[in-house]
Amino acid sequence: MNKYDIKLIVIILFVVVFILFLTRKNNNYANVYYNNELVLKIDLNIDKEYSVEGYNGIVKIKVKDNKLKVIEETSKFHICSKMDYTNNGVIVCLPNKITINFSNNELDTIAG
Amino acid sequence: MKKVIVLMCMLLLLTGCKVKEYKKSMFYMDTHIEVKLYDIPKDKSKKLLNEVDRIYSEYHKLTDRYNEYDDLVNIHYLNNTLKVNESIEISPKLSDIINYGIDAYNKTSGYVDIALGNAIDVWKKYREEGKSVPKTYELLNLNVDIKSISLKDNTFMKKKDIKLDLGSFVKGYVTEIVAKYLEDNGCEKYLINAGGNVKVGKSYKSSKFSVGLEEPFNTSKVYDTLLVENTSVVTSGSYQRYYEVDGVNYNHIINPKTLFPDNYTKSVTVVTKDSGYADVLSTYLFLLPIEDGIKLVNSLEDVEAIWYSDQIYYSENFNIYEQV
Amino acid sequence: MNKKIAKIAMLLSISVVLALIESFIPLFNMMPGIKLGLANIVIVFVIYDLSFKDAIYISILRVILIGILRTGLFSISFFFSLVGALLSVITMYLVKRYSKLSVVGVSISGAISHSIGQIIVAMLFLSNINIIYYLPILLISSIITGIIVGMVSDRLLNYYKSI
Repeated sequence: MNKYDIKLIVIILFVVVFILFLTRKNNNYANVYYNNELVLKIDLNIDKEYSVEGYNGIVKIKVKDNKLKVIEETSKFHICSKMDYTNNGVIVCLPNKITINFSNNELDTIAG
Repeated sequence: MKKVIVLMCMLLLLTGCKVKEYKKSMFYMDTHIEVKLYDIPKDKSKKLLNEVDRIYSEYHKLTDRYNEYDDLVNIHYLNNTLKVNESIEISPKLSDIINYGIDAYNKTSGYVDIALGNAIDVWKKYREEGKSVPKTYELLNLNVDIKSISLKDNTFMKKKDIKLDLGSFVKGYVTEIVAKYLEDNGCEKYLINAGGNVKVGKSYKSSKFSVGLEEPFNTSKVYDTLLVENTSVVTSGSYQRYYEVDGVNYNHIINPKTLFPDNYTKSVTVVTKDSGYADVLSTYLFLLPIEDGIKLVNSLEDVEAIWYSDQIYYSENFNIYEQV
Repeated sequence: MNKKIAKIAMLLSISVVLALIESFIPLFNMMPGIKLGLANIVIVFVIYDLSFKDAIYISILRVILIGILRTGLFSISFFFSLVGALLSVITMYLVKRYSKLSVVGVSISGAISHSIGQIIVAMLFLSNINIIYYLPILLISSIITGIIVGMVSDRLLNYYKSI
């Protein structure tokens, strides 16, 4: 490992931050995957709590103010439930094999 | 750095990939109408949209209660110019729509009534003043008897001085005609929104159309989202046209049996294929207690409904229209 | 000549075995793209010890063999692996030749180019822009796996040279 390697790593980290910044967007749908299979689609417009079966047990998800957070899950370090309410990016609960990403299912129209 | 640039270029390329959409906005029947056509050539879309405009315009004139047009026997004419017991020949289109209304009356046990014009007018006057509510005697003496209409072979006559008002289903009725026109002319992928009255054809994307349901009295919010295709979504609500007196809501949907509006629910949304049918049903259900409405919808085939009231009520299989 | 072919064949089988073992570890198949890349230890080794061409051959053959054994030949997975592997080897060669990065740096470059390649192909194939959200987490895991693979390869190269 030399100084050029360190430079490379720093550049990559900058790019990561840059992309995180660029892709900052308010999404209105969350997609919950268990082992890469879509198990639940969540409408972020509706404040509600959801329970999904994870590998280690039940994973509880809460939607509030158009954002989502994992509030309860069984794992050693609880990394994914430490993440704050969000509506973009990716939430990964590795031990439970649960991944949550976000998308914008833009409404085609509104009836009423 | 190079990789980042390559990535950005790819992103820009991807954003260009979208199905072509052609749309037209119009204003008829006191309603803002938006029509979107997908996946058809530009010149064809122009022709279709122009004809759609013409159809809405034609029916707008035909069913207009407040204006008359040269050489046209329309609703205003039948209500205000035609005398009692005087016969007149009307166009097949007008005849069809009046018959549709009479049929709707029979099928909804009299809850959807095209002869309520006089009562609607009284309520409109009070609503515009916004201060008080009509007295019962003002309403009881009005001519609202649908049986006084005679329509045989396009010859129309009224035995009493009733006034026709087609508002309970006309938007859905005409929208269905427009949808049929589009499908008959090679356009299967379309979306029509006539003042909240939605009709969609085949979807233009890999998923179905996403139709949001607006929250009564808070219409910038959506309380549910439906995934639909080849179907209509029509709502009757007490928030659409109303006024309040002493904290009580008086909306624009008049119950033919009481000549007063009802407040069983804040809104009811019907999902079914035919737009005219959906419009009729939404008016009917709005005038029924929710429990009765749910029973009724469950007994009907290929119809589902959702009520927004103190809580949300669903017909038996409504969830087929909701998310995964 | 024969010795070289034998050596390449052995290295190929080692990389296949490593890839196979990795595919059985359940931890790495719940998020698309996150993988340890153990097989790349061999690839990095070959780039330094043998030649770029040899590395390409071994990469392609490995993907094909894994395709036959695990993912299914000509499946989507196979195609993704192929693209990722090729991009990775080419990048590592260029980086090794034209930059002053160490083995670890080269390995990291291989890992990140593999990830970026997968993301781009996934976005094009699935016409879904939202896949780009995976890039930050993939890049970070690439750095980590790149360092691990690089260090192991580095040790092996030193050990092998000292024999």
